[in-house]
Amino acid sequence: MKEKKSIIKMLTGSREASLVIVLIVLCALVSLRSPSFLSLQSIADMLMNNTIIMIMALGMLCVLLIGGIDISIASTLGFTGMTVGMLLKYHVVENTFLLFLIAIGMGTLCGALVGLAISRGKVAPIIATMGFMYIFRGLAYMVSNSEWAGADALGSFKDFAQIKVAGFSIVVWIMVFCYILFFIVMKWTKFGRTIYAVGSNREAAQISGINVANVELRVYAVMGALAGLCGALSVSIYASAQPNMQYAKEMDVIAACVIGGVSMSGGRGSVGGALLGALVLAVIAKALPLVGIDALAQNTVKGIIILAVIILNVITQRMMNKQNLERREL
Amino acid sequence: MAGKSGRTIAHVPEKSVKKTLLCWESMLVVLFIFINIFGQGISPNYQASNVLREMPRYLAEMFLMLPMAYLLVMGEIDISVGATVCLSATVACMVCNTGVPFIVVVFTALAVGTACGLLNGIILTKFTELPPMIVTLGTQIVFRGIAEITLGSGGSVSLQHTEGFRAISGRVGGLVPYVFFVLVIFAVIFTVVLAKTTFGRSMYAIGTNRQAAYYSGVPVQKYRLIVYTVMGTMAGLCALFLTAYLYGANTTTGKPLVIKKGVFTAEEKGSRRPMSFHEPLPL
Repeated sequence: MKEKKSIIKMLTGSREASLVIVLIVLCALVSLRSPSFLSLQSIADMLMNNTIIMIMALGMLCVLLIGGIDISIASTLGFTGMTVGMLLKYHVVENTFLLFLIAIGMGTLCGALVGLAISRGKVAPIIATMGFMYIFRGLAYMVSNSEWAGADALGSFKDFAQIKVAGFSIVVWIMVFCYILFFIVMKWTKFGRTIYAVGSNREAAQISGINVANVELRVYAVMGALAGLCGALSVSIYASAQPNMQYAKEMDVIAACVIGGVSMSGGRGSVGGALLGALVLAVIAKALPLVGIDALAQNTVKGIIILAVIILNVITQRMMNKQNLERREL
Repeated sequence: MAGKSGRTIAHVPEKSVKKTLLCWESMLVVLFIFINIFGQGISPNYQASNVLREMPRYLAEMFLMLPMAYLLVMGEIDISVGATVCLSATVACMVCNTGVPFIVVVFTALAVGTACGLLNGIILTKFTELPPMIVTLGTQIVFRGIAEITLGSGGSVSLQHTEGFRAISGRVGGLVPYVFFVLVIFAVIFTVVLAKTTFGRSMYAIGTNRQAAYYSGVPVQKYRLIVYTVMGTMAGLCALFLTAYLYGANTTTGKPLVIKKGVFTAEEKGSRRPMSFHEPLPL
């Protein structure tokens, strides 16, 4: 009897667990309609197509944890990606590794700039990042000089995403590596714990000797670095660099985080949650065409599913709270 | 009965002239004037007549900012308004093309907007744990999705009976568009309600401390529902005037509004006061 209760408790005990259930139910429903959904090939494709969102969700997790928001990331991505594309097109740099370093470096700089404005300039995050969103996207257009880099211009760089290790693209492994890294950093390092401290109670963190401004600066720089990495990755994955690439994707990233239980007001959320949130979005995007929903109706269904998922989450959370209360009364 | 601070209700310090001049709103007025002078300086085409000709489009968007200020004061946000405008404009165009009287079209636009806002409000008040940003993000996708389905594969609809829309897109003296006067009326109403009524002051109470507001008897959820619904209605109104300017609707109608209104209202957030007229015209 006791054991049974603990399973129920485990299932409803955390937001992550209830998301796992939602995810399993989603997958089961989809594979009923379309058995090919659960094949290795289809999962590998799905992960590769959603790597960008999944990696950036990690940075967004940190930003949301300290109570901020960053809507400039898609523009940072566009800017770095476009730069990589142009460097390749004009044969300035051709080494893949070096290009990745350049992209990450540029992204970090962009992020640090955003972080400086927010932590030192005391600008509200949404306003500051909105400004930088236009600036970076504008820079992307300036770098592109109304050109774009197609597959023929990208040479060996576009082959990078085609490298396969154990059935999955190397891009997916980079994503997995990022998740493991962040899982460790957020759980067991000083930096990770200070992020939670700042997010839960900024003043308390300040008083207990944490340099809040520096933490903020570093978090936005990390976000920028990830956006830079994604810039290079998406050029490689889609074999093209356009100034408007991944336009407005920041909303998907934020949605992934929030579905994963990351609080918009800071302090609550986990790497596992961000992963599950991103996976739910990925499964929805992949499943809709598979189950034969008309292309025109896909957006509507996607929106309804997102709403259903978050409302379901609230209901399970309420059930959990009620159960806890009942147990206390007994 | 002065307390330790020496302040009583009757003893609130007067607002000094200097403080009024240095506040955020007056800074925006300065910015507005500055931008106009700058515009004149760099282009000889920047004249009142040209600005007024391009104005209806931006003025229509300003309808959204009025209730958005209420939402932001409460600490909420609605990012689905752009999609609501799109859906509302689409349905209004469709209805108009069936040849019904114009008044029906007007009511359709307003009703569709109100329904969208009501849906947001109901979800957010039934499930108060949910952050408004993510709910309205979801409804945004749904509303635009429905508009996409309605529009079909073509993705756009153009007006066939333009008489009614032409009437509301008219101008006084050939210069100042009607929408300007409608906007002024609404701005005055919204400002007065926010500044002078119990309802308006409750917005600030909810935004400052929701729990405290609830325990002092402010019907928080009811007010949230009302404001979200009004937000939808104003989106319908915006759609109406936007359609009058564009003579049609497509899947991208109102798309940039999400961000644009964000910029405008984010500034309002700083001052916690609606100030639509201080905004420079984006030309």
